[in-house]
Amino acid sequence: MLIADALLQGILMGLLFALVSLGLTVIFGVMDIVNFAHGEFLMLGMYSVYWANFFFHIDPLIALPVSAVVGVLLGLASYYWFIKYLLRGPAIAQLFGTFGLMLFLQYFAMFLFSADYRMIDKGILVGKSLSVGPFIFDWTKLAAGILSLVAFAVVYYFLHKTKTGKALQATSLNKEAASYMGIRTDRMNAIAWAIGGGTVGMAGGMLVNFYYAYPMVGILFVMIAFACVALGGFGSIKGVFFAGLLIGILEMIFPVFGHLIGSDFLGPHFKFTIVYLAYFIIVVVRPQGLFGWKN
Amino acid sequence: MEKLKDALDFSDFSKAERIGLVIFSVFLLVFPLLGAGSFAKTVMIQFLLFSLFGMGWNTIGGYGGQVELGKAQYVGIGAYTVALMMVWWRVPFWISMPIGILIAVGYSFIIGYPLFRLKGHYFAIATICTSLVLKDIFDNWNLVGAAKGIELPIHDHPDFLYMQFKSDTYYYYFIMALFYIGLFYMNWFRKSKLGYQLRMIKDDEDAAESLGIDIRWCKIKAYSIASAFVAVGGGYITVYNLYVDPASTMELSLSIKIALMAMLGGAASLWGPIIGAAFLVPLDRFLGSWLGGQKGLTGIDFMIYSALIIVVSAYQPRGIWGIIEQFRKRGH
Repeated sequence: MLIADALLQGILMGLLFALVSLGLTVIFGVMDIVNFAHGEFLMLGMYSVYWANFFFHIDPLIALPVSAVVGVLLGLASYYWFIKYLLRGPAIAQLFGTFGLMLFLQYFAMFLFSADYRMIDKGILVGKSLSVGPFIFDWTKLAAGILSLVAFAVVYYFLHKTKTGKALQATSLNKEAASYMGIRTDRMNAIAWAIGGGTVGMAGGMLVNFYYAYPMVGILFVMIAFACVALGGFGSIKGVFFAGLLIGILEMIFPVFGHLIGSDFLGPHFKFTIVYLAYFIIVVVRPQGLFGWKN
Repeated sequence: MEKLKDALDFSDFSKAERIGLVIFSVFLLVFPLLGAGSFAKTVMIQFLLFSLFGMGWNTIGGYGGQVELGKAQYVGIGAYTVALMMVWWRVPFWISMPIGILIAVGYSFIIGYPLFRLKGHYFAIATICTSLVLKDIFDNWNLVGAAKGIELPIHDHPDFLYMQFKSDTYYYYFIMALFYIGLFYMNWFRKSKLGYQLRMIKDDEDAAESLGIDIRWCKIKAYSIASAFVAVGGGYITVYNLYVDPASTMELSLSIKIALMAMLGGAASLWGPIIGAAFLVPLDRFLGSWLGGQKGLTGIDFMIYSALIIVVSAYQPRGIWGIIEQFRKRGH
């Protein structure tokens, strides 16, 4: 019973994790860059919905497009003003560059919004729950799960059915060949960053309904996203979806197991330790992930 | 003997660099006599400490070219070994510190063996993960004080055995000595076989492998040297603060600072980590006390700090030393 409940809650969390990781894997797939600032995009998405709610009393659900727009703009701005220049340097500079961006956005948020923990307490969905038989689901989490499914469907459709999406895939397979075929790879990169920022911004907009927003919230989620992306195989959309689910379930079910066997070591303090360990084991044992093809 | 000569031999540097080193050394030696306040002394101690960390990181991160972002776990190991042995068994610093180094090196071999199957991004993220796992464990382990940390018993009299002093001047000279040991070691290291092997690996792994270099083993060795360096620094932090907790010794931000200072100064150069620390530590400190203390300006110090990282990584990935060398070439 306890386990079934943890499983279902884990799936809901997992859908959200997958949505957070989606952008990271798209960006990695297209241009082989790991965006450490990804969690900060999430954080700013959270804040944008929070402030829209706070100042204009817009319902968090209706304010969701705001967070998507903020995410897209952030993605585009970081690409055109910063990442583009990083690409000329060695890989080590790229890692540190996005790391610098991460720190900058964190402290920018701290400067503007202070270090207070903020959460939305009023809204159409906030605080309401749906009970199905013995299980109780928060509507906010259900909505986040549904949004994640929709987002995955849209991104999948975009990549596989539209011309731009196919060009994007071609760029991720072979940048040089793609540019010979007349694909403007620079624009493809920008599109990848826009998708990445937009999806993670929306995830943030959903998350703020049931999780505190604070300047350092990103690091936790970016580590989870790294684990998901690694497990799914860097650059694989399908992979990251299932990996997100798996990590979500793991994160929920381990404390329950710990509770059942009466051990503190699997307790809630360690639920993210398991995620870090999972990442480490996955990349060492199976670097290509579940569905990955890039080495 | 040969090694010692290599370590003390700076003759392959340009004249300007050697003169710079002498002036710098004289300055370090007389600094406490200049009547500096305690704030300036703290900044200098931090500077020397982070130079030491940066030099350690430089072996694997600079010469080896591996983006290592988990050095804080070894700082923690060094710090906790000294603290715990002192609290539990009253073991003097001079015994517990070498044991801390041994534990750090042993642990780095265990971690390094699977870790160096990885490359690039995978490796960088994995180093963060290992460091965070250890921090989580120490945060929740009641035996070692959990998140509260441990306080060291304070002695009434200055004690060389336990390295406890009333005055910062002693701590200053102590870290200075460690700094010079580190500097001479690095001067030897860059000319050693392993040093050349690492640079070869950084340039072209396939070529290095075809020449019969055992890449993974070289990286593991460099990684454990780096770990030993930061473990010494960790032990120093314990006796300097007389207090140790996971937040101050194992935080991710410490790992990042270590790597950033070396990167910003110029990775794979002997002076790089020192320049980076000389630049960032005072910046960090002064901005922190000047801007961070004022109401409504929290965070602006780190904003400036990170903006600097952004600019340097985008325009001169070889760091400040890279900029200096660029100017020097233009001068010729």
